[in-house]
Amino acid sequence: MSPQTTPWIGAAAARVDGPVKVTGTAIYTGDVALPELAHAVLVQSTIAKGRITDMDIAAAETAPGVLAVCTSDGSLGIGRVASYYSADNGPMGDGRTPLSDAVIHHHGQHIAMVVAQTLEEAVAGAERIRTRYRHQSPLVRIEDAIPQTPPGREDIVRGDLTTGLAVADVTVEAYYETPPQHMNPMEPCTTTAHWVGDRLTVYDSTQYVSGVRDALASAFGVPPANVRVLSGFVGGGFGSKGTVWPHVLLAAAAARLVDRPVRLALTRPQMFTSCGTRPATRQRIVLGAHRDGRLTAIGHDGTSATSPGENVVESTGGLTSILYACPNVTIRQRIVRLDMQAPTFQRAPGRAPGSFALESALDELAHELRMDPVELRLRNHADADPSSGRPWSGKHLRECYRVGAERFGWDPADRTPGTRREGDVLIGTGMASATHEMDPGPAAAYAELRVDGTAVIGVASHDIGTGTYTVLGQIAADVLGLPPERIIVRLGDTDLPEAPPSIGSQTVAYVGPAIRRACEAVRDDLLAAAVADPESPLYRREIGAIEFGPRTYVAELARIGEPSVSAVGHHHPDANSRYAVHSFGAHFAEVAVDALTGTVRVRRMVGAFDVGRVINPRTARSQLLGGMTFGLAQALMEATVIDPRRGHVVEPHLAGYHLPVNADIGTLDVLFVGEPDPHISDLGARGAGEIGVVGAAAAIANAVFHATGVRVRTLPITPDRVVAGSAVGG
Amino acid sequence: MEFLRPATWEEALAVKAQHPSAVPIAGGTDVMVDLNFDRHRPDALLDLNRIHELHTWQIADDDTVRLGASVPYSKIIDALPDRLPGLALGARTVGSPQIRNRGSVGGNLGGASPAGDAHPPLLASGATVEAASVRGTRLIPIDDFYLGVKRNALEPDELIRAIHIPSATGPQQFAKVGTRNAMVIAVCSFAVALHPRARDVRTGIGSAAPTPRRASEAEAFIRAELDDTGLWTSAGELPLSTAKRFGELVARAAAPIDDVRGSAAYRRHALAVMARRTLLWTWNDHRATGRAAA
Amino acid sequence: MKVTFTVNGRPTEADDVWEGESLLYVLRERVGLPGSKNACEQGECGSCTVYLDGDPVCSCLVAAGQVQDREVGTVEGLAQGDTLDPVQQAFVDAGAVQCGFCTPGLLVQTHDLLNRAHHPSDAEIREALSGNLCRCTGYEKIMDAVRLAAARKADARDAAPTGLEG
Repeated sequence: MSPQTTPWIGAAAARVDGPVKVTGTAIYTGDVALPELAHAVLVQSTIAKGRITDMDIAAAETAPGVLAVCTSDGSLGIGRVASYYSADNGPMGDGRTPLSDAVIHHHGQHIAMVVAQTLEEAVAGAERIRTRYRHQSPLVRIEDAIPQTPPGREDIVRGDLTTGLAVADVTVEAYYETPPQHMNPMEPCTTTAHWVGDRLTVYDSTQYVSGVRDALASAFGVPPANVRVLSGFVGGGFGSKGTVWPHVLLAAAAARLVDRPVRLALTRPQMFTSCGTRPATRQRIVLGAHRDGRLTAIGHDGTSATSPGENVVESTGGLTSILYACPNVTIRQRIVRLDMQAPTFQRAPGRAPGSFALESALDELAHELRMDPVELRLRNHADADPSSGRPWSGKHLRECYRVGAERFGWDPADRTPGTRREGDVLIGTGMASATHEMDPGPAAAYAELRVDGTAVIGVASHDIGTGTYTVLGQIAADVLGLPPERIIVRLGDTDLPEAPPSIGSQTVAYVGPAIRRACEAVRDDLLAAAVADPESPLYRREIGAIEFGPRTYVAELARIGEPSVSAVGHHHPDANSRYAVHSFGAHFAEVAVDALTGTVRVRRMVGAFDVGRVINPRTARSQLLGGMTFGLAQALMEATVIDPRRGHVVEPHLAGYHLPVNADIGTLDVLFVGEPDPHISDLGARGAGEIGVVGAAAAIANAVFHATGVRVRTLPITPDRVVAGSAVGG
Repeated sequence: MEFLRPATWEEALAVKAQHPSAVPIAGGTDVMVDLNFDRHRPDALLDLNRIHELHTWQIADDDTVRLGASVPYSKIIDALPDRLPGLALGARTVGSPQIRNRGSVGGNLGGASPAGDAHPPLLASGATVEAASVRGTRLIPIDDFYLGVKRNALEPDELIRAIHIPSATGPQQFAKVGTRNAMVIAVCSFAVALHPRARDVRTGIGSAAPTPRRASEAEAFIRAELDDTGLWTSAGELPLSTAKRFGELVARAAAPIDDVRGSAAYRRHALAVMARRTLLWTWNDHRATGRAAA
Repeated sequence: MKVTFTVNGRPTEADDVWEGESLLYVLRERVGLPGSKNACEQGECGSCTVYLDGDPVCSCLVAAGQVQDREVGTVEGLAQGDTLDPVQQAFVDAGAVQCGFCTPGLLVQTHDLLNRAHHPSDAEIREALSGNLCRCTGYEKIMDAVRLAAARKADARDAAPTGLEG
């Protein structure tokens, strides 16, 4: 009965949500049509710091269709809910209670809300509000602020950095900068809330239905059981929907106020100030190495921006402490407080900007040593976790380098910059390592066998585009002996057993085993009863010898006259594992740089990844390809520009904030390396959602250096930066 | 808000005279963004989609194309690449296929954004804007059309009916620098057109000054060079040094600013590169055509 | 105002339309066709792509009043009853769908591409689909889907009786 080698796990099954998504019938939050639905719009601050001195809402209140106008006077009665970054580790992305006072903390802060019969009437009403402010000069540049040690955070010190540098034959020191970036999932955050008495139903585009439920229960003083949060389809998240943002509370407050269902959809421009950002970072890396490439010292100082009220740390040094074997390591993490919205985790938090700096610096060291950058990494391979000494739960990073280099056609001899030219176009190749740590979270799940030969599984997790519906069905299929099309998968509903938020690449790794436990429980309960029942044809059979499937359970259910049986299963990952659990990978990139205009095109990328067992190669591959493209975007395009004086986002929309289009992508290839991880769970799967991002930008930056001899240490690598660093030019 | 739907051009002019603040809308690619983002809420929208003639073009006896203001870019690309190669190249880089199915030269001119992709080829071609009102019709040379950032020479009661663009008599090129391979808002752009019969070279610069503009000094330089060296007659090779000098003069003609998309210094640099390249491309084309004809 | 037009072959009337409203809003909120998605409202992402008189356009940039008496086709109209269009089927089969929010617009744009070009090159596909942003897939699976749909449509054409062969 062991499901270790079974047909559905590992199969490239087609997505079960494909048909509804291609016919336009998948219902996302903004598609939920409720009778009497009213619309709320948010008015946002046009200054970055100061106070509201006066707000005239008389004209708005009398505008056609307007049902309510709410100002920042605290009268909505929203209770305080703790932030994710506070000691209480609450669900909010920003712990300030919305519309509770007149203090302005950042540009784009919600300062009023208008609820009307139609969206147009709400917008027209909002336009009639006149606000006066007392301005203060905002602090918005990281360079202008004084770095602080984040509360409760200690430097990571291993050995002695000074000694390590003293014994080095070669040292490299460099500064790197990364800009603020916005997640910009295609679906803007949307909430629809509906009260019936003291019971609240909320449709929300979220990566964390349980967090939304808990936040709303606290904010409105009702038991969590009175709040149901539904999120069947989510149009991407990338972290912007991983915590609960003020607009969610405001939607529920609006619905209570007007006693009707209310939809509140953030506009694309509002997405730039309402649901987090990856903060800007400044990083300094110092490396020391022997002539043979062995690292003697790694210093990584990272400073990231946060808001006045939240202690968000973009942990750029997290991967530095584990990626290479090095006796002398110092990692310092500092924050600066800027008058900006609270940042949050964006896909591969800390590791995305951190890997850009660390893996660029390794490339700089390889260049100094005249050494193949792959070889340099192999010579510093960490055979055990250098930060804890623990063995790895599974690590095939050497294989990633080897297989990736082979597929890519990596030439270790061709490492001199600026030597491959096709007319005005310079060609270069670069590589980088990738890693992503797993953060274990407990999960529960539900499974039900039905007399009609189908099954239902359910968990309050999410499919944010990742393939959860499909992959969980495959896991269940093997246990239940059913093809996935006979299994109904339910997600995104707080009535289902609780799961962690869909963040940190943890859904398959930790929710998957819970699904397996639930399926085993319902199967084993049924069989245990059957073999003990003299009336059953299975009486006294050995459970392990029974081939389980619909024929078995349909007959049993029919015999005992039950339409269905169900069970709940739990998975509690070992928080104190004696293994260090990380995914690993290697990126290889080839770029073509116009020597004169400095434009960079990525011709091709190969990523080789060890993510443990791959449950579905098709969905996993797509996740990794998407991650690599995310990294490409960070390398070449993505940056949120903040006005240095007024503190607003310049061009907060998709014409100003560039995401890659289809024509920007060359050939991308993903290879799976490795094997099931025996130590994370009996499923053996680690995370694949984020590691594709880690190191991708560095691989491209390193390829640009190889092409041109220009080292761009500030993201994104725009044409003007390439030209500015270039001696070639006009 | 009113939604005005004239069925004929005459009716449109009458409506515009009555409602000078009415915003003309054809492809909607600018107007609807302002409405969707609630940046601007006009008293009235004046829909030009029902006026069939604005979607058509005619060729005059002197080979000038009279291009209806609403002809979408996709039609220009498909139907007019031989007569208007510079404009067709510029049109290919406008937004996406969906945008090119709706956006038009009339809209680009009405908006007069310095980043509009149609402007540099229109300048290089020596186009004329046909503007009309109930008071009559006037032809505005393209050089006089752009007055400032998003400001043009139209009177409040005027609408753009057509753009008169001479058919190409020589090679034309368009180049644009941006951070993406498509859907690019120009960091800067440049168009050049050779006019062998007139022994003239004209240029257009986009996104590098408050208005689209020509590089007059560069044009004078290259005209003189081609005349003095007899290259128009000999169809000989254009010296790289000449092309470089041309590029430098084009860069000098720009008045760029530092902004989100690029620094002023970079814009000048990129313009010099694009001008040099496009001049060489067009000149080499010209020589190849000349040889083929000979 | 009232707007009368045809959607997916069906005469349709929308009442109380605000004059500044987009076709996208009318489709989603007044006609009950939420398949077309609202993601940028400025023609930058293509999630709202629909056919307007046979040409794919961003419905967020079409004023509602402009569709009076015209024909609109949306993602909801691509399938023939329960049979998916080859483009839809290829997106499912190739795994080109992730979060699905960009998918409806991509399908309409791809449908148009393959009507105009039977054997598009990769460069043509990438260019034709560059107005459709996808944040999840990295576009590779979308490329696979378009190639697959093109091949299947070609096979179907080859298999179809021409009428000349007895």
